[in-house]
This record gives sequence, structure tokens and C-alpha cells, in this order.
Amino acid sequence: MNQADLQALRNPLLMVAGVALLGALAVYSSGRLMIAARQQLAQQQVQLKDARTRLHKSGEEKDIIVRYLDGFRQLERTGFVGEEQRINWLDGLRLANQQADLFGVDYQIGAQRPYAYAADFSPGALALNQSIMRVRFRLLHEGDLDRFLDALARQGAGIFAIDQCLMRRIDTRGVIRFQPNVNAECDLSWITVRVGASGEQKKP
Amino acid sequence: MADKLLIGISAHIVTSAHWRGGRIVECLTFANDEGGQADFKEYLDRSADMPAHIMVDAVEEDYRFETLPHAYGSDRAEMVGRKLKQHYRNTTYMAATLLGRDTGKRRDDRYLFSALTNPDLIADWLQAVAARGMPIAGIYLLPMVGSGLLDKLDVKATNLLLVAQHATGLRLTFFRDRQFRLSRLTRGDSGRPENRTRYFTEEISNTRLYLHALRTMTLDEHLTVLLVDRGDELQEEAVGVARDNPSLDCVRLGRGELAGRLGIDNSLLEASPYAIYLHLLGLKAPLSNLAPASTMVGYRRYQARRAIYAACGALAVAAAVWSGTNLYQTVMLRGDTEDAARQTALLSSQYLEITRQFPQAPTSAENLKKTVEIAQRLRATAHTPQKVMALLGRALETSPAIVIREFGWKYGVTEIEAEGAGARTLDAAPSARAPAGQRKESALLDGEVRPFRGDYRSAIVTINGFAGRLAEEPEVSEVKVIKLPLNVNPALSLSGNTLDNPEQGGTAEFKLLLVLKPPK
Repeated sequence: MNQADLQALRNPLLMVAGVALLGALAVYSSGRLMIAARQQLAQQQVQLKDARTRLHKSGEEKDIIVRYLDGFRQLERTGFVGEEQRINWLDGLRLANQQADLFGVDYQIGAQRPYAYAADFSPGALALNQSIMRVRFRLLHEGDLDRFLDALARQGAGIFAIDQCLMRRIDTRGVIRFQPNVNAECDLSWITVRVGASGEQKKP
Repeated sequence: MADKLLIGISAHIVTSAHWRGGRIVECLTFANDEGGQADFKEYLDRSADMPAHIMVDAVEEDYRFETLPHAYGSDRAEMVGRKLKQHYRNTTYMAATLLGRDTGKRRDDRYLFSALTNPDLIADWLQAVAARGMPIAGIYLLPMVGSGLLDKLDVKATNLLLVAQHATGLRLTFFRDRQFRLSRLTRGDSGRPENRTRYFTEEISNTRLYLHALRTMTLDEHLTVLLVDRGDELQEEAVGVARDNPSLDCVRLGRGELAGRLGIDNSLLEASPYAIYLHLLGLKAPLSNLAPASTMVGYRRYQARRAIYAACGALAVAAAVWSGTNLYQTVMLRGDTEDAARQTALLSSQYLEITRQFPQAPTSAENLKKTVEIAQRLRATAHTPQKVMALLGRALETSPAIVIREFGWKYGVTEIEAEGAGARTLDAAPSARAPAGQRKESALLDGEVRPFRGDYRSAIVTINGFAGRLAEEPEVSEVKVIKLPLNVNPALSLSGNTLDNPEQGGTAEFKLLLVLKPPK
């Protein structure tokens, strides 16, 4: 095929190119529509399956609500569920200090952030947060540390985990009297959980 | 079926037929002179674009049978082209048709070479067609086209002589085993019927003698004469030929039979003696095309154009079918989606109806359960320094010389750091994403051996003994002495004075790292 042949066949070749282009466009567009429709169907089928499962397990769901609602309300009151109750924590510190006969507690609370070990508890849709509280206090002897931590836990101000503690003996030059002998410093993680807007029940 | 312009050219008349839908729809005859050419050009101007198939009925024709060594591809084309040039130097209208293989040992190729030896006969007509811009699809000799008549009539005779009265004379074409062997066009007087019978008989006899001379057929062999009588005017001649030649059969094909068996209108048979052949040419073009490549350029482009348009059509149809299938599936899928949505809505409304009977809860049942369980687990897995302090106390009971000055404890993925544990800031607390691994308890002990009187060996033994007792505890994973009172590492320098009084300020300090086994 030479130049003259190509020139003579220019219009048909342009037409075949145009038809091929339009055809490809039509096939591509219709294919995209089909894929989108298939995805929508898949999503809808998942929703349908969820709805069917939810309906099927509605009796079981009622049992769960009845069984766990009181415990949940209790956790709400202690401040584990919902916003942080820092005032409760400080009240707890004050009371624990009194009950353990300590010499006062200094505290410092950091900003709230996601709980570092949340994945260990598989929280799903729940958001676990933590605020680190560093407490510094003085002890008569090392055994007071355990008493203080027990007392703090008993206050019901929330749930905390002890990350680390440091005790350092104070040099009293051998004098024996009622005085602090040990400096202590602990990092506590106050853990809270957020379950979504208050009063919102999961709807289908 | 595509339109064709079928043109039959003879020395006296030119017949043009318009082929459409598998039959001739128009047939016109022009005189082979200037006036006829002018009329023909006018006719072409009125006609639509279509390929022209040209048939020539002329005395100036030549046929040769040749046997050539068997060859393929370009070798064959080159050899055949050379032979054609040797035979026909003065014409460009020639063709070679492969008839088959020879039966001899060499199994050579048998060819029929044919040519129109007077190209001027068709030059003006071809020029008119080319000037109109119509592509020339092929140029054929009438006897080659006439071979198609045998197929249409399904003639079984071994030796067949096809005889037809044309404008230019009597055309006699001989076929053996339905394969073309010879054709003659005679110019003789056929005016009165009695002369015509004698004329036919003589020409048939001459042809038989010629065939005998060529050793194509002996005079004793039986011959079937097929007399084409398009005007129903050769009844007497047919009877006369049969009577005068007892060794042959003479079969006359009248107008009605021709029209019936070929599917051609009576009016066309009357319009031109070439209408039969043009009809055959329209049905199927013979293999022996005399047109050179230069003449066929337009037709090649025409075919290419048609092929491209056909490809366009195929593409469009394929795209339409494909797109249509996609759209059909899309519609079906959307229907299924709507059905699923309706079912979901129905199930959801049923679920809502049921949940109205549930106790009022601040969140979903799943969240309630998970929240309570997480709180329980957090409480159950809480760790305090109490366990480490207890096992430390047990070890100290048997090591009264060990005094602990500082005690650090940590529960985390990493162990407690040896230095600066108390100097951390809250920003250094565990980050949002803890390092991978299981958390465990670790403790750092900073102490001294008291009393110490400069006996480093004894102090180190005491410290190692204390560490050993700790390591014996089943919950302990590892005990590491980080610092000893005297660093005896040979890689470091060591200095001091033996006259120094240790009781006045010397100490035997040490540091131990204690790591518990991770909780199970």
C-alpha cells in the first residue's frame, strides 16, 4: 500500500478510527455503569445480610442489654464511660492520701490521647482514651505505696493502670521518727471509653 | 449484494448491464463507434459508482496450454509472468490460469494462458469507465465467462461444443470434461435459413477437424453440441446439424429454457446476445482476469474501502452488542439492588418494631457488652509493683548486707531504662501506638553493700549472690547486673589508692535490672 492508496482511503480509515473510538467509549462507559451497579448491589446485599442477622439476633440482643445495662450504668457513674472526670480523680487522690496516711500528693495530668494498648482489648467501634497522671508523694516506708494505690482504686473515681513507679530512699541520717523516708513517683494511665453520642442506640 | 456494472464489448456492439440484488435490472446496447461511446459516457454519468466487470467477445483472442515446472509463491509468479511476456508482447491484457497438476512423474503445473491480442478494441471504453471514476474489477474473455453456463445447466457430456450466434459471428467453444479447451469466433454468412444450417454444420465439422488436428479429440469420439438459441429461431438448424452429423447429439436451448434455468428475464435475452454471458459474469467472475495490476488499482482501493466500511460496521455492531449487554446487566443489577433495598427496609422496620420493646439503653447491645468486658479485663489485668517488691523482700531476707536506695518499676513492652527514670516528662509517656510485643514487668534496683571496708571481691560476691537469689524466683525471666562497685572490664582503665580509707567515704554501689516473665 503506497501513499496514494492511503490518501484514497483516508476517509474510510478516519471513519473506522472514529467508530472504534466511539465503540470503545460506549463499551467503557457501559462497563463502568455495570461495575458501579454491581458494587451497589454488593453493598446492598451486605446491608441486607446485616439486617437479617440483626433481626434474627434481636432476642439475643435484648438479653445482652438486660444483662449488661446495669454494669454499663455503673461504669458511667465511675467516669469510665464518657468524658473524663478529672475532678473525681483529684477527689480520689485526696481521699487515698488521707486513707494511706501519706504526706500529700503532687499530681500532673497530661493531655488525653488514644490508649496505647487499646488493640489488646479489641474495642471495635469503641474509642479507648488515656490521660497520664504523674503523682509524686512521700512514704513512711515502701509498704505505703501499695496501700496508697489500693486506696486510690477503691475510691471508684475511674479505672487506671500503673505504668511505672520509682521509689528513692530519703537520707534521714539514722533518725527514727514519724517522717517521710521514701520519695515515690508513679505514672498512672486513667482510661476512659467513648461509645458515641449519649442516648444513641444502634439503628439498622 | 453490491451493484455491478457489467459491460460486454464486441467489435460491433457494446452491451452494458446494471447488476443489482443478484440480477440484471437494466440492459442497454451501444454501437461500437463514436456515437455509441458518447451515449455510453452519458449513461455512465447517470449511473451510480460501482465496479465495472468487462467481458470481451473478439476474434483477437488467444489461448495456449502450457506445462511448467511446479513452483510456489514468487518463483511461480516470476516464471508465469516471463512466459506471458514471451507469448504476448503486444498486449497488456493477458492471464494465466492454473488448471492443475500433470499426471507425469514431474507432476508439472498445467496452465491456460489467455490474452486479448488487440487491446485497442476496448481502450476507448475502458477510458470512459476510468474517466467516470468507476473501478475496473476485471476484464474477461467471453468463452471463459461462458464456462459458467455448463455449471448452471449441469451438463454431464464429456465432449461438449457450445455453439451460439453472436453479433460478430458464430462462437464455438469446446469443453472436455467440463474444462475449457478451445474457442473460435467465425465470421460467415448466415443470412437465409438454408444457408445457415449448412454454415452451422460446416463450422462444427471444421471445429471437429481442428480438434482432431490438435489431438484434443478424435473424429470418432462422441460430441454433444449445445446450441444456444436465445431467439427461438434455430430449430431447423438444430435438426439439420443432427441429421448431417450422426456422430453427435445436438441439444438446442431455447429462450424459455434459458430463461428458466438461468433465472434471466425473456426481455433481457431479446435485448442483447450478450445478456446471458453478462448474467453469468454477474453471478460469478471467472478466474482468468486479463486486467493488469495498473488497471485494477481503483478496484483494489474500492475493495479496501468496502472492507474498511465492513470493519466499521462490524466494530459498531460489536460495540453495540457489548454495550447493550453491559447496559442490560446494569439494569438487571439495579433491579436486584432495589429488591435487596426493599427487603432491607422491610427487615429494618421489623427490627425497629422489636427494639421498641427493648429496655432503654444508651448504646447498642454490642457496645454495652464490650464496654463492660473491657472494664473487667482492665481491672483483672492491672499490675502493681507489689509482686516485684514481694520477691525482692524474700531475696533481701537472705542478703542483710544489701541496702536498696532506689527502686524503679515499669509495666510495659520495653524494660525500664537504667538511667533517668525519674527525669521523664509526661510527653515521654506511652505514645498513641505502643511498640509491638507483650507487656511485662521490669524493675531497676540501685543499692549498695553495707558495711563496706574496701573488700571489693567480697562485695561483688555478695551482689552476685543477691542477683542469683532473685534469678531463682520462678516468676523472674532475667536478672542483669548493670553496675558493680568496681568495674573490672579489661577494656576500660581503672585507678585508685590502696591507702584510701573506705570507712571514711568509700561505697560499694551496684545496679540490677530485674525482668519478670510476661503474664500468661
